[in-house]
Amino acid sequence: MTVAAVASLVVGIVIGFVGQRSRMCFVGGIRDFILVRDTFLLKGMIAFGLVAWVAFPVGGLVGGEAVAGFGKPVLTTLLLTVVGGFGVGYVSILANGCPFRQHVLAAQGSGSSMYYLAGFFAGTVVFQLVVWPVLVRVLP
Amino acid sequence: MTGDDQGQVVQVERSRRTIGVSGIQAGVVIALAAVAAGEFFEVRPPDAYGICMACHGRDLVDWLVNQWSSARWPVSQASLVFPLLTSVGVILGGLVAAMMSGELRWHRARKPLKSFAYGLLVMNFALLAAGCATRLLLRTSAGDPLGVAGFTAMVAGVILATWWLRWRALR
Repeated sequence: MTVAAVASLVVGIVIGFVGQRSRMCFVGGIRDFILVRDTFLLKGMIAFGLVAWVAFPVGGLVGGEAVAGFGKPVLTTLLLTVVGGFGVGYVSILANGCPFRQHVLAAQGSGSSMYYLAGFFAGTVVFQLVVWPVLVRVLP
Repeated sequence: MTGDDQGQVVQVERSRRTIGVSGIQAGVVIALAAVAAGEFFEVRPPDAYGICMACHGRDLVDWLVNQWSSARWPVSQASLVFPLLTSVGVILGGLVAAMMSGELRWHRARKPLKSFAYGLLVMNFALLAAGCATRLLLRTSAGDPLGVAGFTAMVAGVILATWWLRWRALR
């Protein structure tokens, strides 16, 4: 379990470095393509998806723990996932970057991204104290 | 963020393109890191958990709250003993890269309250969907039907928001 913490720190440093050099963003690709027909980030996003798609089974073959499989979606979870996914996409565009990009921007000195991150982490508290209790009460 | 700012940001960021890593290279490296973390370095369960800015941030905050109070807020199994530090790592990595390339510059927040609200909203939506933009795509690649649904919805949200930004800028 401590391995996971160290590994995630190392992975974070690597992807943070690469993300800063490439201004990688997981929503910006689609935005740039629509606005200025720029495919720089879109290609990065597609590359991420394809490489992960290939690497998951390959990793399992060479000794990693393969993906165990996912449960069948229930209507409630599906609904929450779709609403959540839509919200993530919509608000991330308004905020000018996906959460990953905002971390990198905050690291290179963007004040608004720092406020974004403050809101981001405050969001977990709001979720635990407000959103989740309300949902549990409302949902079947 | 007005349409004006948006244009400026796109322009500033495009001019930076000549240095360093291309989008494709970044995508490949980040994907390999995500899969390796999940399959070889115990960043699991749940599956396809290698990189998630929202969930790992939630784990970190909830773990700290659990340490300092009697609360028992949920953390993923991978974060039970010690929380995942992806958020800290990304900030460190970004900081190092920015310092090395001379891009470390303080930009004053023009609308701090708005940015704060955006962050708060994105975190809550991401926790509903069980994944930030990165992990939704990662789950899609791992073959999770819910991940596909979430990612499709995210793309729809991105497209609508971009149209809305453009409409507001051209109005």
